[in-house]
Parts: sequence; structure tokens; C-alpha cells
Amino acid sequence: MARKPRRSRKSRSAKKRSGARRWSRWLLRPLLFVLGLALGLFGPWVWWLDREVSLRFADRHLAEASRVYARPLELHDGLLLSRRDLLVELEAAGLRAGSPARAGRFRVDGERIELHLPAFDFPDGRQDARRASLNLNGGRVDLRGETTVLRLPPAELGRILPLDDRVRTPLAIEEYPPLLVAGAQAVEDRRFKHHFGVDPVGLARAMWANLRAGRVVQGGSTITQQLVKNLFLSPERSLLRKFNEAIMAVSLELRFSKAEILEAWLNEVYLGQDGRRAIHGFGRAAEYYFGQPVEALDAGQIALLVGMVRGASWYHPLRNPGRARERRDLVLAMFHETGLIDENTLRRQQAAGLGLRPSLRSGASQYGAFMDLVGRQLRADYRDADLRGTGLRVFTTLSPSAQRRAETALAEGLSGVEREPDSLQGAIVLVEPGDGEVRALVGDRVRGRRGFNRALDARRPVGSVIKPLVYLLALSRPDRFTLVTPVEDEALTVDIPGSGPWQPVNYDGVSHGTVPLLEALAQSYNQASVRIGMAVGVDALFDLMRRLGVEPGREAHPAAFLGAVSLTPLQVAQLYQPIAAEGYSAPIRAVREVVDRDGKTIARYPLRLKPLPQRESLALLDFALRRVVTHGTGRSLAGMLADDPGVRGKTGTTNDRRDAWFVGYTSDWLGVVWTGRDDNRPAGVGGASTALPVWAGLFDELPTRAVRPGWPDSVEWFWVDWPHARLAAEHCEGAVAVPFIAGSQPETLSDCLEKRGIWPFGR
Amino acid sequence: MKAGITRFPIFGLTILAVLLLAACAPWQPTLDDPEIAEQVRAPEGGGEPRGLQVYPLRNPAVRELEKAAEAARSEGDFDRAESLLERALRIEDRDPELLQRMAELQLSRGRWEQAESYAMRSWELGPQVGDICRRNWRTMALARERDGDVIKAAQARERVEICPVEPPERY
Repeated sequence: MARKPRRSRKSRSAKKRSGARRWSRWLLRPLLFVLGLALGLFGPWVWWLDREVSLRFADRHLAEASRVYARPLELHDGLLLSRRDLLVELEAAGLRAGSPARAGRFRVDGERIELHLPAFDFPDGRQDARRASLNLNGGRVDLRGETTVLRLPPAELGRILPLDDRVRTPLAIEEYPPLLVAGAQAVEDRRFKHHFGVDPVGLARAMWANLRAGRVVQGGSTITQQLVKNLFLSPERSLLRKFNEAIMAVSLELRFSKAEILEAWLNEVYLGQDGRRAIHGFGRAAEYYFGQPVEALDAGQIALLVGMVRGASWYHPLRNPGRARERRDLVLAMFHETGLIDENTLRRQQAAGLGLRPSLRSGASQYGAFMDLVGRQLRADYRDADLRGTGLRVFTTLSPSAQRRAETALAEGLSGVEREPDSLQGAIVLVEPGDGEVRALVGDRVRGRRGFNRALDARRPVGSVIKPLVYLLALSRPDRFTLVTPVEDEALTVDIPGSGPWQPVNYDGVSHGTVPLLEALAQSYNQASVRIGMAVGVDALFDLMRRLGVEPGREAHPAAFLGAVSLTPLQVAQLYQPIAAEGYSAPIRAVREVVDRDGKTIARYPLRLKPLPQRESLALLDFALRRVVTHGTGRSLAGMLADDPGVRGKTGTTNDRRDAWFVGYTSDWLGVVWTGRDDNRPAGVGGASTALPVWAGLFDELPTRAVRPGWPDSVEWFWVDWPHARLAAEHCEGAVAVPFIAGSQPETLSDCLEKRGIWPFGR
Repeated sequence: MKAGITRFPIFGLTILAVLLLAACAPWQPTLDDPEIAEQVRAPEGGGEPRGLQVYPLRNPAVRELEKAAEAARSEGDFDRAESLLERALRIEDRDPELLQRMAELQLSRGRWEQAESYAMRSWELGPQVGDICRRNWRTMALARERDGDVIKAAQARERVEICPVEPPERY
């Protein structure tokens, strides 16, 4: 107790001073404590957020779709090209009709076409934008002496999308139309230029407006905050998230310029779904909703997209067209209010429709079937993650004009031959024989429909389409078989170990007696073919198929000689490629080259020639396949083609008329057509009656030069006393010129030579 | 007697027939007869329009691409040279000169099999005389040598020597 008064005395004497000390003690200490805590705890947190922002912002470009291009069309004097095909090519390459003063436009004036090709980075270097003109005289290109070769930029076929399901077409801010850049700020964040990432004034205004309305009518988020939300944060709403968002927004503003932030926002903002995939950025949205590059959008289209930022599904132009329209008109009014568009434009645009891409509703994808093939070829060499989102550029072999022709031929061909509408399906594979490049691929009769890709995945018995390989093996033994070797087309029984006897019959149920080998193939006689096959052996047939890159399966049953082997149309194309290419085999391919984001070539699939050992017998086979379309099962072709350039081919029909095939080629094209039913029921189809008309419909439209085969030196031609294996002369009745491997020609001579009276006493 | 008389003509005719047939036999036409051998020969291609390989004027587009490929090759940019030759071959896939250049490029890239294939194709489609014939076989010889096939390389070397020097005279 004694101490207390003393202390009180003391305190009394310095009342004012000690009060201030107490104040500092009781208030400053917790403040310092909080500050310390903040520095100790939030400091690292803020530091971490700041670091994350800068790292991830710099990294965001990694997720860029890989682009896939068609083959570029190379124009040169004398090239066969119809005007229709040229227009398809120009439009696929992104050129539009208009004044050629602007890059990317072309004008047709009678036979003359003026072009202004946009610049393009080819794998072998950049080609600057250039103006050019050409004439199309009688379906041939004439470059008018201006240049010798004119390469068009290739059509973009599609994208291989990043794995994170974000689809973008990133652009630099200068590439965006000014109205979009200014308009987006006018609607989303008018004070964007002035705030430092968060906008307390804007936030207060939004809160006030929401309070007065009693619900959320305005968002207080700045463009920077929206970008942070899009780039880094999960969609959950919480106070911590708001805090993070604000810190990160300020950090972005400190580290990056306004232009960089705005550009990133334009490229990242969420604008709806394309199926399972999110659409991010105005570039991609313009392509998705309008089918146009963002530079080409008009004020109404820009307003629609800007309006969708607020709620991409709430204002979705397909699902909620009324709401979308209302929102667009409101945004247009805001554009007008801020002086971005004039009164006239406002009224005109508010009266206009939404301007959506016509195919948006159907979800069609134009080059889907071919893109499947590209994806598979690439995945054979790359991991999926290395392809997606790495901004690669893939140069492929597709010809957009041939693709269009093939799609039309299948759709129209099937409608022309089927008895019940829409009962049949089909597929087409079109290849350039010399290099094995796939020019067109159709996997469905409906253009652009995605789903089952019959060209790659319909595995069907090939029927007589297999026979040429059997005959090729036989003809490779010239001591035993030539084109005129008599073969019995008579009933036969083949004993199959383990499954009993097998008795093949002919398509027409009739046996044709003894016929030349050539005739047996041209008329596709089954019993004769099995006899030839038995002499060759199933193993040899399967070996040959494997060497050509096609796996025939394991069950080596002699029915394989008649095509009881299930293959896809693409595999059939692979089997016929060396036959059509005079014995030089090349793998069927869809990709030429892959280039990385910096233009460096990371893979090339160059032209590779590999001569087959059976090159001489291939020449004989080629002759026989010509005979098929002039005298055999494919002879109806003559009535279907305006001009026969010398087509070679083979028909195929399977049991109960379930599948019909026609494979035909010239020097320029190899085409495989399959038709049948998806449920594999009897379809009433036939190689000559169903598949051949589809094939002819396509080849009648393709630019094709006359076939000029080059025969190996060891092949010699003789007149034959058809259908006997006897040599004759040109003047003999019915004599046919037939090729032989030198020395294998018959030794007996026709009566015709004797009757002509080479009289023994005359010499 | 009667029987003998009636039998005689038949016997005689038979003898005559046998004699006649026997006489015929040595003159039966055979392939050894050059005239017959000429008659039974049919025109190559069986009368189908055929590619007599005549290249009066080479496509200027092909020439330009070939020139650019040569420039790339001399700079050591083999990838570019190859893709330029491929572009040219897509325009004219049967041009022997182009095929031979591709063969030589493949040789400098050490792809022996490809070098041989292209040279063979060039020879098949080419004139098979003169300078290009020698280049064809020289390339095949080198490619086979490097590939370790000594015998076939020697055969190709012999072919270099027997390439006709000049194209056949034309009147």
C-alpha cells in the first residue's frame, strides 16, 4: 500500500506525458503487432501472388492451338484447272471477291482473274503479299508471262486444340478493329486507362447502383480484374478470392502496360462454349459465331460479342436470340452515346439481323474426316500433349477443290443409285498415286457431318478388289503364268484342314470353262481365280499385303482370294498405290511437314520411292486392269465418262450384295469408292452398279491428263489369237495386242498365219 | 480283186496325204522366221496412246524451282533443296532431269536407297543415252557401293560405260 501513493504522486506530476505514453502503449503496440503479422504473413502471400501473376502471364501464350493447312495450290502455265475449282481454292484460302487493291481479294472478269494474295509464312520462307493476274483459257492456266509459278496461300483446315479446352485465336492489339478495342472499354470499364487495376470509384458506383436496384445490376470488376479471374482463378466466390484478385490485378498493372493487359483480355475473355470446349477471346469468337476473322466484323457483330462478355450463355445468340439482340442493341446505343458510332450506323445496325454463320446451327465441320487422318498420322510420331496447344503449323496434302468434288460425287452418286432414299452410305479416298499423298477423304455422304468416318474406320470385306494382288503374284512367275495362260473356270473343291471342303461359286452361278487368265480377271471369275490363288498360296498373298503396309489378319483361308478380307477404304488405297504408280510404292500420307511456332521445321515426311520387285508383272497387271473397264465388269464406265483418259480399275461386290467397291486410277489420281449399309445388311449394291457410278461422277469432274504408262524394257508386246494362247498377226481376225515378260510369250502360232499361205514352195 | 481295186484309191490317197503333210512340216511358220517374228510383234502399249518421252520444252515453272533447288543445295541447305525439288516433281513427276537431280541430292544426304530409286526412275523415263544415262548409272553405282552391295555396284559401273554416247541420229 505504501508504494501506491508514491506512484500516484509520480503520475500526477507528469500527467500529460504519461497519458500519451499509455495511449501509445495501448494502441501502437497492437498496430505494430498487426503490421508485423501483416508483413510476416501477408507479405509472403502478396509476394507469392505477385510472382505467380508475372510468371503465368508470361506463360499464357503456350496454350495456342496448332493449325492445320491444306496443300498450297501451285499455279503454272498449262495447269488443268476449271474456273469452279479455282474459285473453291481461292475461297478456301480465305480470299474473297472484291477489289484486288486490298490484300485477300480477287476479281473475276471473263477469263481473266486478278488476285491480291495475302502474305504467308511457308515452311521454306515467307511469301509477301503480291498482286497477280492470270487467264483461264479452255480450262488451262495462263500466267500471262508475269511469273512462272504462283503459289497460293494454303487453306486453313482446322485446329488441333490445346488440352486445357481453351480455344483461342490470339491477335496483337493492333490487329483488333478500333471499334472493338474502344467499345469493349466503353461497356466494361470506362475508367480502364486511369485506374491501377482496381477501381474504387467504379466499385462504389456499382455498389450504389446495386443497392438502389436491390439486385446485382452492375459489376464493379475492372478489365484487369476480369483478366485475372479468367487467367488464374477458379470460379468460386469468396472474400479471399476477391482479395487475391485485387492484389493480382494491382500486381499486373505494376508489371505490364495497359496495352499488354488489354490485349491479353481481348484474347482471353470467355465468350461461350463450342460443344465441350470453352471459347476464349474475340478472335476465336468471331470465327465461331460469324465464320469470319475479327477484322472483318461490322459494328453490330462487334456489339453482340462485347455484350456477351457480361454473360456468354445468358446472352447466347442461338439459345437466347431475343436477349442477345436486346443486349446488342443496348451495347450499340452505348457505342453511340460515347461517340464511337454515328446515328446512321446505330439505326442501320439495330435494324440488322445477328449475322451468324449459317453452319453454326448444324455444327458441321468441313474437313473433319481428313483432320481425323492428319491427327492419326501425327499421333504415330508425337505425344498428344506435344501437338496440342503448342502453336505448331501442320502442312498437309489435301486439295480443297478435289475434296469438294469428292463430297459432291458421293452425295449425288448415292442419291442416283439407291432404291430407298438415304439407305446407303459410302466413303471415298482420293490419292495422288506417284507420291501417295491423300488429296481428298470423304467418310459420310452428308458433307461436314462428324461421326463415323467410313474412309478410315469402316472395315469391310473387299470382294474382288483383292484379285489383282492374286494375279500379280501369279504373273510374277512368267514360266507358269502369262495373261493368256488358259485357266479353268469350273467347279472345284478346296479341302480346308479343320473346316472341311470349300466350294467357291461364281457371281452369276455359271462356270465359264477354259478362259485366258486375262479374261478371268477382267470378268472377275471366282472359280478361275481360286485356281490361280491355290497355285500362288494364301501365305504369299498375305505376305504381299504386309509388305505394302496392310495387315490382312491371321486367318489364312483360301476365301481370301475372293476378298474375304476386311479392310478400310484407306487400306485399299494403300494396296493399289504401287499398282497405280508403275511399281513405285510410297506410303499413303496426309502430312508433309510440321513447323513450330518460330517457323522451324520439326518434321518432314518427304517423298520416298521404293520400287517393288514385281515391277514387270505390274505392267501386265496394269494392262489387265485396263481390260476390266474396256471389256470386263467395269465396261459400263465408258457410258459414264465424257472422256476416258485411259482409266484402269477393278470392281468388287461382296456376298448378298452387302458391299460394293470400285478402285480406279489414272496417272494423276487413284480413287477408292466403297458403298454399303452401316448396319451391314444386304444392300442390293454392286461394284459396277453402285460404286462405279459414284467413282465416275468424281472422275468426270477431276482435271485428268491422258494416261501414258511407261513400260519396263523387259516387257514385250505380241499379237495374240484371242482367246487362245497362240501368237497371231495384226491382220488376223480378233487379234489382241498383249504384253508379256520377254521370253514368256506363247510358242504356238495361230492358224491365221498358216492360212495366209506362207507357202512352203514360195521361198 | 474287186476289193483290191476299190481299196487302192483309199490307200493311195492316204499315202498322198501323208506325203503332203510330211512335205508341209519343214515349212511350218516358226518364230525363227524373221518375217513371222516381225508380224507377231505388236506395238508397245497395244495401240493405246503412249508416252514417247519427248521433252521439247521443259515447263518453265519446273525450271525455276529446279534452279532455286540448285542454289539451296550449293548453300548446303539440303532440306530446302529437297522441298523445292518435290514441288517441281509435283508439277512434272516424269521429268528425268528432275528425278536425277533428286537422286544426286539424296546421294549427298547419304540416303543410298532413295538415291538409287530416283536414279533408276530417271533412267526408265529418260532417253537412256548420253550424259543423263551416265549420270543415272553413276549415281546407282555410288549408291550401291555405299550401301555395301559391291556386285550390283560393279554392274552399274559397267552400265555407265555402255551408255550410248550420242542420241540416235534423226533425219
